Parts: sequence; structure tokens; C-alpha cells
Amino acid sequence: MKLATFKGGVHPDDGKRFSKDKPIQTYLPKGELVFPLSQHIGAPAKPVVQKKDRVLMGQKIAQAGGFVSADIVSSVSGTVKAIEPRLTVSGAKIDAIVIENDGEYTPVEGIGKYRDYTKLTKQEILDAVKEAGIVGLGGAGFPTHVKLMPKDPDAIDYVIVNGAECEPYLTSDYREMLEDPEHIVGGLKVMLQLFDNAKGVIAVEANKPVGIKNLQELVKNESRIEVVPLKTKYPQGAERNLIYAVTGRKINSTKLPADAGCIVDNVDTVIAIHMAVCESTPLMRRIVTVTGDGIAQPGNFSVKIGTSFAELAEAAGGLKEGVKKVIAGGPMMGMSIPSLDVPIVKTSSALTCMMQDDVERYEETVCIRCGRCVQVCPSNIVPQKMMDAAMKYDTAEFVRLNGMECCECGSCTFACPARRPLTQAFRQMRQAVMAERRKKG
Amino acid sequence: MNGFLNVSSSPHVRGADSSRSIMYDVALALLPATAFGVYRFGIYSLLVLLVSVGFALLSEYMFQTLTNQKVTVSDGSALVTGLLLGLNLPPTVPLWIPALGSIFAVVFVKQFFGGLGQNFMNPALGARCFLLISFTGIMSDYVVDGVSGATPLAQLASGQAVNLSSAFLGFTGGTIGEVSELAVLIGGIYMLVKKIITWEIPVLYLASFAVFELIFGAQSGDLAFVAAQLCSGGIMLGAFFMATDYVTSPITKKGKILYGILLGVLTGILRTFGSSAEGVSYAIIISNLLVPLIEKVTMPTAFGYAPGALEGKKAVSIKSYMPAVKLCTITLAAGLALGGVYQLTKGPIEKAELAAQAEAYAAVCPDAESFDTDEKLEETIASLTAEDGTVADGKFGNVVYESAYAALDAEGVQNGYVVNVTSKEGFGGDITLSIGFDSELAITGMEFLAISETAGLGMRATEDTFKDQYIGDAVEEFELTKDAAKDDTQIQAMSGATVTSTAVTNAVNAALYLVNSAAE
Repeated sequence: MKLATFKGGVHPDDGKRFSKDKPIQTYLPKGELVFPLSQHIGAPAKPVVQKKDRVLMGQKIAQAGGFVSADIVSSVSGTVKAIEPRLTVSGAKIDAIVIENDGEYTPVEGIGKYRDYTKLTKQEILDAVKEAGIVGLGGAGFPTHVKLMPKDPDAIDYVIVNGAECEPYLTSDYREMLEDPEHIVGGLKVMLQLFDNAKGVIAVEANKPVGIKNLQELVKNESRIEVVPLKTKYPQGAERNLIYAVTGRKINSTKLPADAGCIVDNVDTVIAIHMAVCESTPLMRRIVTVTGDGIAQPGNFSVKIGTSFAELAEAAGGLKEGVKKVIAGGPMMGMSIPSLDVPIVKTSSALTCMMQDDVERYEETVCIRCGRCVQVCPSNIVPQKMMDAAMKYDTAEFVRLNGMECCECGSCTFACPARRPLTQAFRQMRQAVMAERRKKG
Repeated sequence: MNGFLNVSSSPHVRGADSSRSIMYDVALALLPATAFGVYRFGIYSLLVLLVSVGFALLSEYMFQTLTNQKVTVSDGSALVTGLLLGLNLPPTVPLWIPALGSIFAVVFVKQFFGGLGQNFMNPALGARCFLLISFTGIMSDYVVDGVSGATPLAQLASGQAVNLSSAFLGFTGGTIGEVSELAVLIGGIYMLVKKIITWEIPVLYLASFAVFELIFGAQSGDLAFVAAQLCSGGIMLGAFFMATDYVTSPITKKGKILYGILLGVLTGILRTFGSSAEGVSYAIIISNLLVPLIEKVTMPTAFGYAPGALEGKKAVSIKSYMPAVKLCTITLAAGLALGGVYQLTKGPIEKAELAAQAEAYAAVCPDAESFDTDEKLEETIASLTAEDGTVADGKFGNVVYESAYAALDAEGVQNGYVVNVTSKEGFGGDITLSIGFDSELAITGMEFLAISETAGLGMRATEDTFKDQYIGDAVEEFELTKDAAKDDTQIQAMSGATVTSTAVTNAVNAALYLVNSAAE
């Protein structure tokens, strides 16, 4: 069978061997939990609790700060210790609510109450998602209730569950396909309830045959749902590439998936939707893969949001001596962190610990115009020329070369034999262009 | 944990290939062609390659040291340049040729323009063309087993057939690296498999060249001729190793397609209509110059910007192809115009040439009234010329019979011959002679149709003092001597111009051999 795919892309070492056979363990935090107010795309949330307040597990502690924003819910019961700037994975200090865990996990009333989604109205479903504070858990963190409210819901003909998990080393989605496939299909069914004309697709890379089999088994009697195997290639799970692989439609950076009739959500997000709607449970936990050759016991963990990475690393046996780099996320798109004392947020998919740092190891040399960056670019742009513009800090030329179409997937940088920091330069240029545009209004 | 963790922008992993590993892979891919060349042409050709590689590395090292730059000799690019240049040289060139060529390639073509990645022209080919223009004689002298022979391309250009399998395997004359198409192909396939190169440039280069030769070639419509063209000269080496040079070829996919086609057409034009039998080097360096333009007109449409992209239509946007189509059309039109003009003017030019030749013939055969083709002469030329272009087993060095005619008197009775013969071994290139014979097969006169020897030395061959030595005697073969001639069969060589004297005497002897054989 010909697998659905996109043009371009690379094949880095997938590193999934470290953790793919490790069942998800639940980790309960010990110390304080930190909830940055900005852990999603859009406006930061506004605190609705004050210092010294007692909060319960599942209680809303911050409220969406705008239309594109998301609520934040406490994942433990305890006392608000402080509301102050705290270091986050991005390296910046961001206002955060700090809660001292009392270890009781006393829930707010109503949590876990079963609801039959078929008896709920569309608005009730959307409200449940919004109240649960769900955002895209794949990494981007776009507020899910906003995504589920496109201008014209009837024009949506595809609801796609992103199970590509193309990022190397990550295995959390795969483990959920093995351990909890019912929740994935259940969440998709909830979403389909919102879109009458849509077909549900669960798209999974072909390197997860057991996951595909499990899901296919579950959907064989579902007329509206199909499992689509994808070619194993990075970045297959990037939203634009995924939509193209599944539907043949291409969206550019100025468009939303809904413009092409698609709603795309990651596996863990879909499970969160199911839990929010059917089990009245807000987003309090996420699955984090702790992996790499730099951690003693790699594994997959169900972690309370707000837990510190340092605690999680200890739970996984601790960092090995001489570890060079620790990444929040996977090696292609994750952010390297200077210290483990940062909190796990909604979008923290993994902690990748590496004994060797390729970036440090290889020396940058001059461009030999091999054209590999052009061959692998999924956005069909020309990184080699964009880099020329970036070196001159020529934002106009960068835009003319369609630099704003770059999705920062890192494929060009991975493929570059001269080891040039292309993605880094493009990220800077894109930020510069966006800043210019904001200035102009 | 020892304090600090590394922090950098993603991605945090890198692919295995480095610029250096790629360069060494290219050198590895050149190994079959190199090994075959050395096997075919002997240990001296290895010396040529070593000198060219050595000087390429040395020039890079010296230039970078003297200009206080970081020395990057170990990146393999100078190695590849030197090796490619060496493989593009005739196997018996004097050793200063590869040395000079490598210096020119690395210093002038590459470093002066900013070093690796910045040169606008393939350094090895730039150097080859520089050598070809400056030292034409040396650079077009292809010696195999001590004998100068016509290359398959020269044979094709003069309308002879080529043994396809020996040309493909490489048992012919040519530069060190180009002779065996098989060896080059092995290297090319290795690079394709290892994804060092993509298929577009080599495949489209060869395909468009084949189509061009099929339509416009000297023997249009003849597939065997097209195959012979593909197996001759440097086209295979050029298509896989030189046209695909990263720095001087387009990086866009459509650009590579356009570039490949352009190369094929240009090579076809140069080979078919150019004055030299070969055209690969010039076609590639001309196309190198067009690369910035090609890249400009072949910039890809970003993902999601083609019309109908949002709806999932696979609409081929003709608009996005227009600039490339235009460039291609202009190139083709220019090629066709060149070909057309050539075809139109071919007749008149031939007539004019014939008239000019008739004058020359009259000068060498004073008793003749007219000239006509002679079957016996044509047959003899054919029987004396071996399939690989060697005349009379190489007895007269590298000579070629251009044409021969019977001389007729006023009544139309044959009273002699005129033979046009070229020696390829002049000091400054080809020497073409027109030689007249009377019915006794004594030489009645000789004129130089083409000669470009050193003034005051070899050029003295055109003076009567030297020429007259050959005239008036019916001998079978002349012998060259350094001292004064003892008898009619001896010719005193011009002092300081032994090469020219030998070439002229060889040509005259070849003509004598022809008329004597024909008269038997």
C-alpha cells in the first residue's frame, strides 16, 4: 500500500528505542508546582486566585485573558504560595502561580462525573473543552476550544487526529495508542459531534504498526472514522504536511487548517477532550517521554502539569554523569534548557537528555551550494538564499524569498553538510519581520 | 552533572554527511575512471594525476597561508578539483601542464572569487579551457601506446564509424578520465545511490544531447551515431562529475532540469557545428555563467501558494513555468538559428571552398586542367585508414587523409593526382598540405592549406628552400636528416624546427604512400 506523505523531509535517527516499550507510569509530585500564565498561544491567562488561597485539584486558578487564550487549572490541591515571575523552558521569566502541594489531591466537586456526549449540545461540548483549559498538546499550544469554533463548522469535512509522532525520541502518543486507544477514538467521536459533515481520520506513521492495528480494530465498525498510515518521515506530523498527506490540500502560513476544511488535533489533546467532555476532568496531566542516552531509566510518564522537570528526571533515575544537553521536547523542535528547574507545562511533550551535542561537536563551514536544504524543505522554499538574506539582516529580501513560510522544522539544518545554523537564523528573521509588522500595525 | 548544560537553537541533531565527507565520496566515485585511465595509458598518466592533485592542494595551501586565511586544504575540494583537471588532460602531456592548470584552477578560478562556494565557474574546467586555448597542440595530442591517434570524437567529426563497445569500455584515445564510459557510469551511479547528486542534471543532459544529435547531428536519425556520440569524448564524465558540481549548478529542482537540457543542447550545438569535435567543457562553463539567471527564473512556488492548492487540486500552474520555458525557448531558438544559418550557408561555403581549393590544386598540379573524384583513390583512403582513425598502422604518426582527386588534362585524361593530407603533430596544431603528383608520381608542387607553426622556426616550412626539397623526384618515401641531404630521398630538417619538419615529411610520405598504393 502506498503510504500518505508529503514532499521533502529528512530521516533523523528516531531514537524511539529508548522508551517505546516502557509503559506509562503515573508520577505524583512532591514539592511546589509552577503554573506559568502563558503556556499557550495567545494572551496570557489572568489569575483568579490570590496568594495563600487554598485550591483544590481541578480548580480553575487562571482565566483566559482574551478570545485566543486558555484557562489554567490546578493539578493538585494545596496553597497558593506565590504569584511571581518564574524561569520557564524558553529561558524567560514569566508570571506564574506557584502552588504548594498538600499531597491530598482533594478534587473539586463533580470531577470524574460521567457525561454522555451524544446528549450534549455543541455549545455544551465547546464549553466543557474551554473550561478544561485544553490547548494543543503536540507542542504549539493553540487553544483547542478556539480551534473547534471555525467560522463555518459545516465546511469542515476532515477532523484529523495527529498520531504521526514524527519528532524523534518521542513515544508518548505511541504508548497511548497501545494503552488507551479507546480514549483516542472516543475523543474523536466527541469532536465529530461538532462537525456534521466531517469524516474522522486518525493518521499514524507506519513505524507504529501495533498502534495502527489497535486503532483499526476499534474503528472497524465506525462508518465515519478511518485510520490512515503515513510514511515515516520527519516532519510528517507538522500540521501543513499532515493535512496535505491526508487530503492533498495545501495551506500556506496565511491560512488556517479550517480554511482547507480541516481540524487537526494531537493524540494527547484528543484524549484530553474526551476526558473533559465525558469524564468532567479538566486538563491536569499530560504524558511526557523522558528519554535519551543521558537519563538512567528512560520511560513514559503521566505527569501533573506544573511539576518541575528536575523532579521528573529524578523519577527516571536521574541524569547521567557528563550529560551535555537537555531538551524540553524532541531533538528537532524542542528547546534546550539550561537548568532542569523549570516547570512542565501543557506543551511539554518530552525531556530528551543527550550525552552528545551535535551542535557543539560540528564546526560550521562555508555553503557549498549542494542544494540539500532545498530538497528537504517541506515548505518548498530555498533556505540557501534565505540564509544569504539573513546574514545581511535583509528582512525585505527574506520576505520576498517566502521566508515567512518557514515552519522552523529544522530539516534544512539537519541536512546541511556545512552545518550552518539555518533554522536559528530563520527563527530570528521571522521574529524580526513579525516585530516590524506589529510596529506598522 | 558538571555544572552547565549546552543551550542552542533547535534542531539539536545533525545529519551524518559533512561537506568534507561528500568531497571524499566524489573522489571515491572518480576512482574507477582514474584506475582505468592509469591501466589504459600507463604509469605516466598516474604521474600527471599526481602532479595535478598535488599542485591543486599546494596552491590552495599557499594561497590561504599567504592571504592569512584559515587553511581548508583538508576539506577535499581542492583534491576533487585537481583530480578532475588531471582526468581531463591527455595522458602524455608534459608535467608542467597539470601543474600550471591546477594553479590556475585553484588560485584564479576559485580563490580569487572568494574560495569554496563562491566561484562562478567549475575550476577544473576553467583551467582545462585555459590550457586548451593556450596550448592547443599539446592539449589535443592524444597518444596511445606511443602513437598519436584520432579520438573517437575526431573520427565521428570526420564522418568515420566508431567501434561502440571499445568506446564504451574505454579502449580508445582521449583524456585520462573520459575514455571509459563504463568506469564513469559506475562512479555516477555510486553518487546517485549515495544521494550525492540528483538525477536531473546528468540524465537530462545526456537525454537532451541524444535528442539533439538525433535531429540535428551529422548523421541525423541514426541511433548508432547517437550512441557513438554518447560514448565518445567527455560527455559522460562531464554529465556526472562536472555539470553536477554543486557550486556551479542550480540548487532549485526546476533549475536543475533546465540546466541539464541547456547543457545537452549546447553540447550538441558545439559538437555538431563548432570548429572543434568536442564541446562538453565549453558547454558546461557557458552554462555555469547562466546559473544565477536560471535560479532566478526557477524559484519554486512556496507550499500552498499554487492556484487551487487549498482545494487539493493538482493544477499545474503554467504561469510558474513561464520564465523557465522562455529561457529554454530562447536557448533553443539560438541553437536552431545557428544550425539553420549553418545549413543555409553550407552549400555556398562549400562552393567557395572548392573554388579556392581548385586554385590551390592548380598551383600544385600545373599541368592539370580540371580535377575530379576518383573511386580508386577513395577506396584506397578507406583501406589505409583503420577503424580507430590510424593511417597505415601509424607509420606516419598522427596523419589524416582529408581528400584526394584525380588531375585531368584538357582532354579529360588523367595526368596526375592531388592529395590533401593533415598531420596532427605540428608544433602549433594541425598542418594541412595540398600535394600535387604527375603521372610518374613525382611531386609537382605543394601548398600549405593550414599551418600555425612558430614564426622564424617551423613557419619556414612554407618557404621554397624547404619545400623545393620534395619537388620533382619520384621517390617512395622521404627520409629526414639533420645534415645536408645526400640524395633525392633525403630531406634536410629545418634547424630548430624538428617537430615541424617531421610532421611535414610524415604528411608528404603519407600522400606518397596513398598514390603509390592507388596506382598499384
